[in-house]
Amino acid sequence: MDRYLRLLRLFVRTELQFALEYRVNLALEIMQMVVVAGTSLAAVLILFAYTEVMNGWTLGQMVVLLGVYYIVQGVEELVMQPSFQKFMEHVRDGTLDFILLKPVSSQFMVSFRHFQTVQTLQVLLGLVITGLGLAQLAATVTLTSAGAFAFTLACGLVLIYALLLVLSTLAFWFVRVDNILAIFWAFIDAGRFPIDIYPGWLRITMSTVIPVGIAVTVPAKAIAGLVDLQTVGLIFLATAVAWMVSRAFWKRGLRAYTGASA
Amino acid sequence: MTDAVIDVRGLTKVYRVHERQEGLGAAVRSIFNRKFREVPAVTDATFRIEAGEVVGFLGPNGAGKTTTLKMLSGLLYPTSGGARVVGHVPWRRDADFLRAITLLMGNRTQLVWDIAAADSLRVLQEIYRIPEDRYRATLGELTDLLELEPLLHKPVRDLSLGERMKVEFAAGLIHSPRVAFLDEPTLGLDVSMQSRIRRFVAEHNRRAGTTVILTSHYMDDVVALCKRVIVIHHGRLLYDGQLGELAQRMAPYKVITVALRDGAASAFLDELGTVTSRDEASVTLHVPRESAPERTARIVRDLEGSLADISVEDPPIEEVIDRVFAGERMPEALAAT
Repeated sequence: MDRYLRLLRLFVRTELQFALEYRVNLALEIMQMVVVAGTSLAAVLILFAYTEVMNGWTLGQMVVLLGVYYIVQGVEELVMQPSFQKFMEHVRDGTLDFILLKPVSSQFMVSFRHFQTVQTLQVLLGLVITGLGLAQLAATVTLTSAGAFAFTLACGLVLIYALLLVLSTLAFWFVRVDNILAIFWAFIDAGRFPIDIYPGWLRITMSTVIPVGIAVTVPAKAIAGLVDLQTVGLIFLATAVAWMVSRAFWKRGLRAYTGASA
Repeated sequence: MTDAVIDVRGLTKVYRVHERQEGLGAAVRSIFNRKFREVPAVTDATFRIEAGEVVGFLGPNGAGKTTTLKMLSGLLYPTSGGARVVGHVPWRRDADFLRAITLLMGNRTQLVWDIAAADSLRVLQEIYRIPEDRYRATLGELTDLLELEPLLHKPVRDLSLGERMKVEFAAGLIHSPRVAFLDEPTLGLDVSMQSRIRRFVAEHNRRAGTTVILTSHYMDDVVALCKRVIVIHHGRLLYDGQLGELAQRMAPYKVITVALRDGAASAFLDELGTVTSRDEASVTLHVPRESAPERTARIVRDLEGSLADISVEDPPIEEVIDRVFAGERMPEALAAT
């Protein structure tokens, strides 16, 4: 465990060095991120200048939701997206062999090898926006709701990770799965609004097939004290199952790749 | 009998390939009713390799060299047969096994493109848990042998192909593996870089005692490095023995190519060897290996001013292997090991 943490630190450090080499690019990315987050925050504020409540969501809750969205997307773009993208390149180019020959978990190497360190900023922005929303909701935040928030957020991230792992693992059989992932990114994008505002079928898709709804909406609801213990339990269960299924699927893919199952 | 570092028995790999038919209709049908064809890649390979040996795997493209290497390094499960490498079953990929081997591929890189090799090496140090002092010692030695100093701190993408290969070697050997699988390590390199890499492999083998299995279709690589060769063709082991014997027995001749100035008489060349091609400007002939120097001297003497150029070469590896494959299997050579 200790060793894996040391490796993670090393991965982040090398990628950070790389990011710092291209300062102009870095500055532009940072600017873009601030502008995008700023405008979407402004959009929510403008919307709530005309109404107090949107589909049951108050201003404070909506801002928290936006903040959580940036946290989730930030984490996803910080490590999952670059790593899995690279993994698919490895499968295409045949360089995955080098990873399989390392005396560390291949799943770890594939999932956490590459970082877009600049995305840390998006996570920070998300935290700040969440903080702003919480200030609005100050009265309703309790220790329990804060705990539920942190817990469901962690579950949501694991759910997204599990789904991404499954989708990426398909590359063992189909090699080119970039398009499947493109659909996934689009759904992630849709997560910036509460899933309650979407029509039924889409809501169900977004909370089951693509768990972004759960990852973003549930924590935002939890902090407002709107999630009961039963839901938290269910989400934990779903996360545990998703984690195990994705791991099994990954191992299955690896076996197919090495010809063990033929 | 000492314990072999690599012990391979009846190793066989059959790929199941999805049979594709032409046409859209066939493609649709194949979704429901897939036809598979079995393609044998390696058939019943058996050999042993002792510690510190440098063995060349020879064979044309698609002969099964890479499939064999991939099974021995644990990347592929065999269809049948067994193998032990440093005492482990490779395809279980135990951590101890993985720490004892390395695989280098001439056409693929394990280095991260955008960062300096030094950073990639640090990551490898952590992955293989190499203690700092040993890491420094090994890196120092590799830096010496490969003249890496100016290369380590540049992003890998800024390196030339040859420079990249040198760094690739450093990355592959930083954990001091006992067995090194080198798959076409000189592919695409210019002649001088090829010979640098060869010198390095020989020197590293001498110093560290690393067992090396090398595949290449450059005969020069094999000649420079391997005393022993294993010839594979269509997945079958055709020859396993001394390199010198392979060249002598399988291709007991040398190829002399004579370039002629305008209108030089070349009829006398027919008496010196078997002429295999001839046009106005050049003649190619095969002469018995042992008389090659003497005949070459005679050609130079007889042609004098009419001689534009002359070269004496071993027959191309493909030709040697073709001869091996053309039924000239040598049981005594196979049995010799």
